[in-house]
Amino acid sequence: MAKRVREEEIFPRNPNKTYGLMEIVKGSSPRVDRGPDDMVSSWPHLLIREAILFAACFVIVLALALWAPPPLEKPADPTKPPNPAKAPWYFLGLQELVSYDAFWGGLGIPGIVIIGLMFIPYLDRHHSGIGRWFAKSRSTACWAFTLIFVVPSIILIIIGTYFRGPNWGFYPPWNMPVEPPIILHSIFGGMGL
Amino acid sequence: MSVQTQKPSDLTPRQEPAISPLQKLNRAIYRQAPEVFDSIKLLPYNVYKSIYRTTAFPKTERERSEAFFNSFLLHIQPAKIEKHALRFTYTFGLGLLSTYLFLLLTLTGILLMFFYVPATDQAYFRMLDLRSSVSFGGIMRGMHFWSANAMIGAVFFHMCRVFYTGAYKPPRELNWVVGVILFVLTLVMGFTGYLLPWDQLAFWAITVGANIAGKADYISTSLTGLGLPDLHFGLFTKNMLLGGDVVGQEALLRFYVLHVALLPVILFSLIVWHFWLIRKTGGISSPKESPE
Repeated sequence: MAKRVREEEIFPRNPNKTYGLMEIVKGSSPRVDRGPDDMVSSWPHLLIREAILFAACFVIVLALALWAPPPLEKPADPTKPPNPAKAPWYFLGLQELVSYDAFWGGLGIPGIVIIGLMFIPYLDRHHSGIGRWFAKSRSTACWAFTLIFVVPSIILIIIGTYFRGPNWGFYPPWNMPVEPPIILHSIFGGMGL
Repeated sequence: MSVQTQKPSDLTPRQEPAISPLQKLNRAIYRQAPEVFDSIKLLPYNVYKSIYRTTAFPKTERERSEAFFNSFLLHIQPAKIEKHALRFTYTFGLGLLSTYLFLLLTLTGILLMFFYVPATDQAYFRMLDLRSSVSFGGIMRGMHFWSANAMIGAVFFHMCRVFYTGAYKPPRELNWVVGVILFVLTLVMGFTGYLLPWDQLAFWAITVGANIAGKADYISTSLTGLGLPDLHFGLFTKNMLLGGDVVGQEALLRFYVLHVALLPVILFSLIVWHFWLIRKTGGISSPKESPE
């Protein structure tokens, strides 16, 4: 196995051959019928990145827990409704929609959006622009996704979070009524609830 | 190996030298389990070998691949990866970040379960205890709270990344669908957890949310036009969710069970499926798949 052989024994010089041994390159696997690829070992290239990401994630969450403790208001009291009563922030876009139309805002539109999202890959099957951010050949799809889904979701949440005050009235955040009056008979009036 | 032929001289009983019981034991062990002393000597190495199977510090390309093939946790990932996939600005690590946050939530959530009681007359005071008398209680709840909020953001932006890089296109259609379901489930997890502190914020937020679910009545009411009886879909959903007309003890218990048992199991299973589908559809998307 380790017996030394002359180059001519492996690659006999043959005048009919149009190829020959050009160079011996360093490598750990034979590359037959393959162009050069840019693969690297996951160990350590992927592993070290994953470890760093976990460390960063852990440290940031721990820091937030230490310096920005979660809110805890007074105990739940069914007789003292706040005005306005607000859903968790990620549902405030939904609550904002509900204030325009109860069914379509709360279920109709969100349902269509979720079902629509699921059908995207079955409708947009053209094999272009994979693996690139905002590929030119996909500009229509990118704009549509941004304008129909991303921007409205974010804007509705921002409006619901910062621009809605007592009775779901529209107030700029710098002019938000400080002590919202509690009017029991109309707390849900503005939200169509 | 070889068959021993007994010579007549062997048949005559030899005079055994007197030996101590300890030596007897030693001989017995050597006769019946000759490898036991070697095993004790090699114990640390054998334990190490059984865990890593090859080596914990691979040096050659082959060992590096084996480190991934032979590890239970690492075999989920490919042993070799395209350089493009490692660029931080391609994925921003959002998918993995969501997974990490899910793990942190599981960990801190289990710790919180040791100190929480889903009863309307206890839940709030347990929250106060976490802040005042439970060691690291405030940090546990803080990490759970921030991980939950961050996970909703991470999952949303992960979905945006996948869309903007065209990574949902065939053959990855099903993985996109699983991802959308995971996004919705993440929101539901957040929603069910929101009630558990049983403070004013929690109580009224869930009241509002449950009322939104009640809006499904519109469907059944519309269907009465087709001659169907009014089934009150919305009212039914709301009652199933709250266990009553209003947010109370039954609602707290239902949200608790959904939050700590049912939803995490579903979420975890779907995450596993999500990962499996990544590998089976050719790994992370690459510009090589559509030359421009």
